[in-house]
Amino acid sequence: MARYIIKRILYILLVFIILSFLVFAIYNMIPNDKAAAQARAEVAANKNLKYEERYLYWQRTYGLDGNLFQRYFRWLGLYPYTAVDGSVGALNGMLQGNLGSSIDNGRPVADLIKEPMKNTIFMNIFATVLALGITIPLGIFCAVKRGSRRDVVVQIGTIVGYSMPVFIVAILFIWLFAVVLGIFPVSGMETPGNNFTGFRAFLDRMYCMALPLIVMTFCSLGGMTRYVRASMIEALSLDCIRTARAKGVKESVVIYSHAWRNALIPIVTLVIGWFLSIFSGSIMIENIFAYNGIGKVYFTALRNSDNEVVLALQMFYIFIALAGNLVVDLAYGFIDPRIRVSK
Amino acid sequence: MSDKKLNNIDESNVVVDQEQTADNNEVQAEQTELQKKNFFASVGSGIANIGKTVWRWIKRAFMGGDKELSEKDKFNVENIESPLKQMTKEFFRRKIAVVALVVLVCMFAFVFIGPLFVPMDVNYTDTLQQNIAPNYTMMKVPNALKNDIKSISSFSNFSVGLSNSGKMYIWGDTKLRLAGVDLADFPEEIKDDNVAFVSAGKDHIVAITKEGKVVAWGANSNGQYGHTTAIGAVEMPEELISGTIDPSQVSQLVCGYQVTAIVMKDGSVYVWGNGGTVKNLAEIAQMTNVAKIEFSTATAMAILKDGTFTTGSKDYFTSVVSSVNGTSSSLSGYLNGREVIDVVAADYSIALLLDGNELVMSGVFENNEDKIPQLPEGEYFTQIDAGTRHYVGVTNKGNCYGWGHSFYGQAGFDPDSGASKVFAGAMQTYVVNESDDLIATHGLKGYLMGTDGSGRDIFTRIVHGGKMTMTVGAVAVIVSSIIAIIIGCLSGYFGGWVDMLLMRITEIFASIPFLPFAMMLSLVIRNYPVDETTRIVIIMVMLGLLSWTGLARMIRGQVLAEREKEFVIAAKAMGIKESRIAFKHILPNVISVILVSMTLSFAGCLLTESSLSYLGFGVQQPQPTWGNMLNGANNSIVIQNYWWQWLFPSIFLALATISINVIGDTLRDVLDPKSTLDK
Repeated sequence: MARYIIKRILYILLVFIILSFLVFAIYNMIPNDKAAAQARAEVAANKNLKYEERYLYWQRTYGLDGNLFQRYFRWLGLYPYTAVDGSVGALNGMLQGNLGSSIDNGRPVADLIKEPMKNTIFMNIFATVLALGITIPLGIFCAVKRGSRRDVVVQIGTIVGYSMPVFIVAILFIWLFAVVLGIFPVSGMETPGNNFTGFRAFLDRMYCMALPLIVMTFCSLGGMTRYVRASMIEALSLDCIRTARAKGVKESVVIYSHAWRNALIPIVTLVIGWFLSIFSGSIMIENIFAYNGIGKVYFTALRNSDNEVVLALQMFYIFIALAGNLVVDLAYGFIDPRIRVSK
Repeated sequence: MSDKKLNNIDESNVVVDQEQTADNNEVQAEQTELQKKNFFASVGSGIANIGKTVWRWIKRAFMGGDKELSEKDKFNVENIESPLKQMTKEFFRRKIAVVALVVLVCMFAFVFIGPLFVPMDVNYTDTLQQNIAPNYTMMKVPNALKNDIKSISSFSNFSVGLSNSGKMYIWGDTKLRLAGVDLADFPEEIKDDNVAFVSAGKDHIVAITKEGKVVAWGANSNGQYGHTTAIGAVEMPEELISGTIDPSQVSQLVCGYQVTAIVMKDGSVYVWGNGGTVKNLAEIAQMTNVAKIEFSTATAMAILKDGTFTTGSKDYFTSVVSSVNGTSSSLSGYLNGREVIDVVAADYSIALLLDGNELVMSGVFENNEDKIPQLPEGEYFTQIDAGTRHYVGVTNKGNCYGWGHSFYGQAGFDPDSGASKVFAGAMQTYVVNESDDLIATHGLKGYLMGTDGSGRDIFTRIVHGGKMTMTVGAVAVIVSSIIAIIIGCLSGYFGGWVDMLLMRITEIFASIPFLPFAMMLSLVIRNYPVDETTRIVIIMVMLGLLSWTGLARMIRGQVLAEREKEFVIAAKAMGIKESRIAFKHILPNVISVILVSMTLSFAGCLLTESSLSYLGFGVQQPQPTWGNMLNGANNSIVIQNYWWQWLFPSIFLALATISINVIGDTLRDVLDPKSTLDK
């Protein structure tokens, strides 16, 4: 098992390096020379300065000298900066915790994304719990009552559910719950002008988060219900189920103990993978509801051409995706011995 | 029953096997023939060859083998149905799937044939046609008014009419949703038969009753009437707000964008309204000795009693096109003291009727407003009127002509004879004869699905946007399928290190988080000066490049299963090239799986394209797609007030993706022998 884990981790690391280099290379295609802009501004302000000198200075300060590979590893934190006098400088990259800075006040990216990150994780955990709480019973029910009228209705419902784009669902729900019924606020993180504290503030926050949460949960119902149903059907057709029934085990025990445990293997991996994938999926929701999360920060940065924030968050998304892959692989390995043998 | 089906599938494989051997001989013979011909002929026949092959696959997939078989084999063939033929039969047994297929086919016809019938000007916008609800009443003159027309006035999406007895009528889209006002609810001062004058602005109506009361209603955000604190507004004169005027002394009442003017017979004027839009409003308000006032969108102008045309201290109109003397460069120089009888103004241009029966156009001509119709000898215009972008005029012989913008047919009609008066709405033309009967109407009846925030017809944009959305989706699917087929086939067939390498590449691509990555690529493209078409092509390819991994894995799995079968061994034994076996022998046998996956990923591509466009990182405005049409609906004002702007694109997009998914799902169901066994 240990060998399998190490192998997977090494492999994922390799993929991360390839992918991050790819992203870095694409990012470098943006025609944007920070050093040249800085140097030009200085020379314009003070005629005594030489452009070439200042340019070299800023290039070295920002770590923009050298070829693409050097810059890439410098950005990772594995290759040193060139000091201003030309000697070898310090390491200062991602690994050292330097994610770059935003054009907005020059704030460091790590600082900028701290609060939104909390919000996003908070919302995603809630959405996951809600979605699982609905989809698992529903999926089991459909699998057991397979082919019945109710199953067909749910099947059609789930197709409609996963065919609808998130933004259409969001618009419909805003119209229904916020405009027509007036139950929830249209967007925002908290009731404007409030000065709640403690538990009251938490309640207010939950109240404002309700609508995005409902939309997010609703959008994931379709796909997940189908998945649970499919794996449950698979499990119900196993020989052990037939044996259990033949032995006269109660039907509820057959379903919830024998079949459900077998169905759990793919579902566990699905849940982990899904939880991580909604990070990138919540870009849409956060923007529609003006929810201060990672997706909103990413979107705003893209809009304002705030390139370093974009790069850092892009890496974050890739990191999350790969971590998801790794966790899924490992979970499979733990649950299903056949896999770690064959690899 | 189901066991028999399974047997059939096995038998059909044997037949397929035989066919392939035959095919192979045939193609080899063709190849020797090809070498003799020159290059171009070989390219041509190569393409024909590919076409033939694809056709043969499809034919074989649906109709079964068509080769002559020996007597012994014929016995076996009788019961054989190809898997795809079975699939098709099974598919058409499911009602929901058939409905979805019909919906999808209709939608394809709608978006690919529709644009031929519904032309669209991509860059068209019109502030006066913004946010109009779906309706078809914009040219619907009420029946009671039809034979008793005194005047018709219209500036944007609604029109007001006045009968000779003084009864007022209103038609068109009369609701001002942001202000929460319905213009059709007349104030209580307006009673039956007591209106002397009435005129309509962009979002307000002003009427003078026979008692001399000036009544105004509608939106009032920019000083359209009453007391106001709006910045830049010219306030309505106090004597009109609280007092009355003598209606018999009023010579003209006219409304503009958000402005109003009353001209008295003694030449004094009352002018008020939004001075921020109409820059010279305050100047015109100070004038005396005025005969007529007219408003274009951003300018006020007056004709004085001595026949002088003026826009105040600044000349707003310079270029001149005359019906008599051709063009000139300066309006004031051209007029040079000549008497101006009448003036009418469209959006950015004006028409002047001079003494000597001359018609002069001035201003900015964006819609052929300067193409004055050539009148027959002895015929000249006696009365003219202007809509937003078109002009109409009645001649001394009673013919009514139109020119200018004619997208809705408001100007490009054959001359109507027997006319005595003509009124122009924003996009409409109403021709009236001597006994005040309406004899003809031309122009815009209304919008089937309303207009968006820039005044563009939503129905037209849905038709054209659908074409764009479907094209982007289809191209992306084709790109991704081609990549997936090549990688899947190679990897599944060769196995070993090729498989290892290709699958690792697939895994890398599969772990790219799609939406953020596509958004970032879009940012990179934005930094290069590429035109919109190139951008769209890049987006298509990008979508394809990022979405092939699932299909490639699936094909690999299928090919792995197929390559163990006997016909592959037979092909190998005959010494056929490996790549040929992979693509020509095995691929046709997995084509059904590929088709199903392509259907499902088509829906996926539609969704991702529209999501990207919705966020503003896909196809950009003004080029419509179903996704970016919803971009404007991203705020509660639109969601609440202008439901048609988000409802119709949503319905089309959702219908398309739902029906594609239903079809794909059913196909997958009927293709899976396990699921048919259970039913």
